[in-house]
Amino acid sequence: MAIPLSIFYYLYLILVLIYLFYTFFNVYHLMRFGFLTLGNIVMVIFYLIVSSLILIISWNYISQIDWQQTISVIPQFQP
Amino acid sequence: MFNFNIPNAEKGEKVILLVRRHPFIILVRILSWVIAAILPFIFYLVLGDVIAGFISGEIFYPILVLFTSIYYLYIWLFIFASFVDYYLDAWIVTNKRIINIEQKGLFNRVISEQRLYRIQDITSELKGFFSTFLNFGNIYIQTAGEEKRFIFRQVPDPYRIVRKITKLVEENKKFQQLMEEKDKITIN
Repeated sequence: MAIPLSIFYYLYLILVLIYLFYTFFNVYHLMRFGFLTLGNIVMVIFYLIVSSLILIISWNYISQIDWQQTISVIPQFQP
Repeated sequence: MFNFNIPNAEKGEKVILLVRRHPFIILVRILSWVIAAILPFIFYLVLGDVIAGFISGEIFYPILVLFTSIYYLYIWLFIFASFVDYYLDAWIVTNKRIINIEQKGLFNRVISEQRLYRIQDITSELKGFFSTFLNFGNIYIQTAGEEKRFIFRQVPDPYRIVRKITKLVEENKKFQQLMEEKDKITIN
């Protein structure tokens, strides 16, 4: 029995979506309740830049992988 | 001086103090996440040869790439969330009341307030090595008719804040008494 490697990729995408969801609400809270100061805005921009960098660097590695591969869950024995 | 709006601001209300936790608190939190970010490198340095054998595997490498990406994304998110939590927890002292704003998680924001003239007792507490050394601690504010106390948690220079609030409370009580006497005279 073999499972496609892409399962891990989709799992990763779900976790990235959760990450984006939390990011949105954290930024929203800061902008809505966080008293619009320069330090506050700089912090949000810095956070978004570093987040983008992590995602871009990750994508550079992820895009080079062949996600069509499969993983053997049960070892196959040759007679 | 303070570039923000007071919740439910009253006419003539001025902000006297805006207090947050001592910066040491957020530094400790961020430092723990930074250590978590460095840990994989230390792990790799110690067990480099063993890990290198696995990484070269066709299956292990993609999973490692995904895991590393998620690991650092979430560490970065937790650092930011720590900052948001630190930044949004604030205590505001105005010339009329004290306001306690607490952000508890993403969807729970608690704002409570108390009139200055209702304050009966203010106590400050410095407990522990770092608290004494860096001069930060808790301030407990007991109000009339309320069991629940207002707590300013881990705020810098608590003695100075207590002195300031005590002075404001005295002024506010005198003003309140004058207003009540004025009302009595008007009624009579």
